[in-house]
Amino acid sequence: MDARLRRVNKEIADCKNDKTSNIVVDLIDSSPYHLRGSFSGPEDTPYQGGHFEVDIVIPESYPFQPVKMKFITKVYHPNVSSASGAICLDILKDAWSPVLTLKSTLISLQSLLCSPEPNDPQDAEVAKHYMTSKSSFEETARYWTMIYAGGPGKGGVPKATKGGTMDEVAMAGLEKAHVDQFEAIGFERSKVIDVLRRLNYRGANVAKINDDRVVEELLK
Amino acid sequence: MSSDYENSDNEYYDDEDDMMLEDEDGSASEMDVDAFDIDYRTSGKDKLKLYEVEYDPLSQRDVEKMMQQDVENISGIFGVDSNIAALLLRHLDWNKEKLIEKYMDNPTAVNTAAGISRPERSAEPPRSSSRSQPSQSLLNLGPRRSSRRPTAEPPKSGKTKIIERISPPVEEPQAFVCPICFDETQTETYSLHCEHRFCTSCWNTYITSKIRTEAEHWVTCMAEDCSLVAPDSFIRKALQEDNSTWNRFQELLVRHFVACNPSLKYCPYPSCTYTVSCPSASSRSSLTTIVPIVTCGASSSHKFCFGCHVDDDHRPVVCGVAKMWLQKCQDDSETANWIKSNTKECSKCQSTIEKNGGCNHMTCKKCKYEFCWVCMGPWSEHGTAWYSCNRYDEKASVDARDAQSKSRASLERYLHYYNRWANHEQSAKLSMELYAKTEKKMDEMQMTSELTWIEVQFMKKAVDEVFKCRMTLKWTYAMAYYLDSGNQKELFEDNQRDLERAVEELSELIESPLEPESIPSLRQKVTDKTVYVQKRNEIVLEDTAKGLLEGRWKWNCSIEGFD
Ligand SMILES: [Zn+2]
Ligand SMILES: [Zn+2]
Ligand SMILES: [Zn+2]
Ligand SMILES: [Zn+2]
Ligand SMILES: [Zn+2]
Ligand SMILES: [Zn+2]
Repeated sequence: MDARLRRVNKEIADCKNDKTSNIVVDLIDSSPYHLRGSFSGPEDTPYQGGHFEVDIVIPESYPFQPVKMKFITKVYHPNVSSASGAICLDILKDAWSPVLTLKSTLISLQSLLCSPEPNDPQDAEVAKHYMTSKSSFEETARYWTMIYAGGPGKGGVPKATKGGTMDEVAMAGLEKAHVDQFEAIGFERSKVIDVLRRLNYRGANVAKINDDRVVEELLK
Repeated sequence: MSSDYENSDNEYYDDEDDMMLEDEDGSASEMDVDAFDIDYRTSGKDKLKLYEVEYDPLSQRDVEKMMQQDVENISGIFGVDSNIAALLLRHLDWNKEKLIEKYMDNPTAVNTAAGISRPERSAEPPRSSSRSQPSQSLLNLGPRRSSRRPTAEPPKSGKTKIIERISPPVEEPQAFVCPICFDETQTETYSLHCEHRFCTSCWNTYITSKIRTEAEHWVTCMAEDCSLVAPDSFIRKALQEDNSTWNRFQELLVRHFVACNPSLKYCPYPSCTYTVSCPSASSRSSLTTIVPIVTCGASSSHKFCFGCHVDDDHRPVVCGVAKMWLQKCQDDSETANWIKSNTKECSKCQSTIEKNGGCNHMTCKKCKYEFCWVCMGPWSEHGTAWYSCNRYDEKASVDARDAQSKSRASLERYLHYYNRWANHEQSAKLSMELYAKTEKKMDEMQMTSELTWIEVQFMKKAVDEVFKCRMTLKWTYAMAYYLDSGNQKELFEDNQRDLERAVEELSELIESPLEPESIPSLRQKVTDKTVYVQKRNEIVLEDTAKGLLEGRWKWNCSIEGFD
């Protein structure tokens, strides 16, 4: 049998037999080289209670070249692209070792959720948010977990219903009062959210960015 | 004087060259000799023209010898195995001085960083700075005997112990199962001295993938977080019979060595393994005074610039100008295409006017208004004979009235140089056809006249020269684009014009239809013209090179390397 196939089959079987790690690897179709991994968000993090799915592609030269992984579930995290799910993690690149497995890599992703590395960001805007105000960042990450990963609502906030409206302001990690303020001048709400998000209009930054600067951006 | 050269074993020196060297002290009348002898003159190594640089082509073997010398040198100084010396040198990018300094300061740290030993875990008493004696084998090759226990010798004080086993391998008296392929049938294993064991087949695939896919010469252990690096002897062993991957590995090592040495450059031609050594062009500042065009030892067609990535003989312009110009051509390619195909409106009657030909003196077909294509102002305001074909009149840009005309003028200025540049490039590209046509003509000449094969070679020689000069001319337009206007630029353009005229005349001669009765006179004309063209080309190249050395050229914008 082909060495790659033997190895992947064994890895899939190992994940099935292991009930303690809560790491699941499923076939998407009949190919053993395109898989879907999933795990639950780590406790005591904004991702707690969420269910995160990862797209897994096993390259031709696996395990001598790293496995390709990206989040299917949208995640608000400095090292994960909020748009594409692409992940910045050393073991998926240079630090890959052929002894690493799908399971150990998924566990590493899980622990990445516990310990963001904002200095080596995949998503610069999210990383800026994290650096400016950790509490505001966590609130947004929690909101994303609720909306996209089926996580619980924050004390009293009802879980968003499927297809229901989601709060664009909370999605962007902004304050409703700030958005209202610029909307009142006469700008479109979505444009205001977009600009304030790009300017990282949060926490201590709010005092540093004067209104003219925001209006200038809004007029572009 | 010539006795010095007789003793030399350099292949470049022959009797011809000695004669030439002696002539150099006398008059410079060599130009008038028969055109066929001229080639000898440029091949003498010690007779470098101002626009030539001294360099040495090196084969992969030659470079490997240089590497070997460094390795032996370090191996001797540190008293280490050559495998270890090689890893140390590669880790510090072949900087021997830095390596010696760092190694003397803290050999343990250097060994760890170079992937020779694993990081220490427990705090040990500081090591003495005496030289290490790593007599131990760096690797453990071959099938593992299950009876062998890892020997954990207590570290001897005062002696740097390079090889250490931090975690003894778990003894498995049963069949070995490779943790990578899980294939029970694989019983042969290798490990580096970290004792991270894997089957020989996995090692082979892994190392092959590193070398072939990643073009990597730095191969670490396959275990997670193990930074030990596989030395050459291990790689050789693991690759087994795969000589082609081993050779690729050797090539990667040479490439790394060459990349680390500023006076070496790898031949950029695909699959060529030659290197050129050119110490005079190793500093960035040298590139403002010389244009280091070199040829690798594998083929005379492997001509490239030692100073930049332009894959062309860009003499006479310096690398900075060549790069800027090519970048500009790339950035403006759309604009250039647009403006070239674009038409303009007559500023009097607004009818559409198309420019045909290169002249800027336009006359509207409808209202007969005469105007300048560059600034769109009336022609009457322009002085007579303001335009000559190679020269761009900077005044026209100044005359531009409004912002739109100004930007149009600056585009026109660029297009003036660009079109001439592109024209020469195009002509040079057509040279293959010209060679084929000329070959036919040469056959014809041999049949219709008394001329022998050797006597009709003047035609090929002429085509060669035209091609060469068009390359020079092409780059002179890049140069003129960035030259500040003034006397120096005018002199430059005088030389450019003279060369261009001569080249066009020679082109016409060699492309004219053959008449049997005029072959002898054609031969005379072509031969004379070839010598003349060659002379004009020399003048352009020599004078530009001289100007660079003298710092005579003034640029109209800031050029990389110049202050
Ligand atoms: Zn194996
Ligand atoms: Zn190891
Ligand atoms: Zn070459
Ligand atoms: Zn160059
Ligand atoms: Zn003209
Ligand atoms: Zn008109």
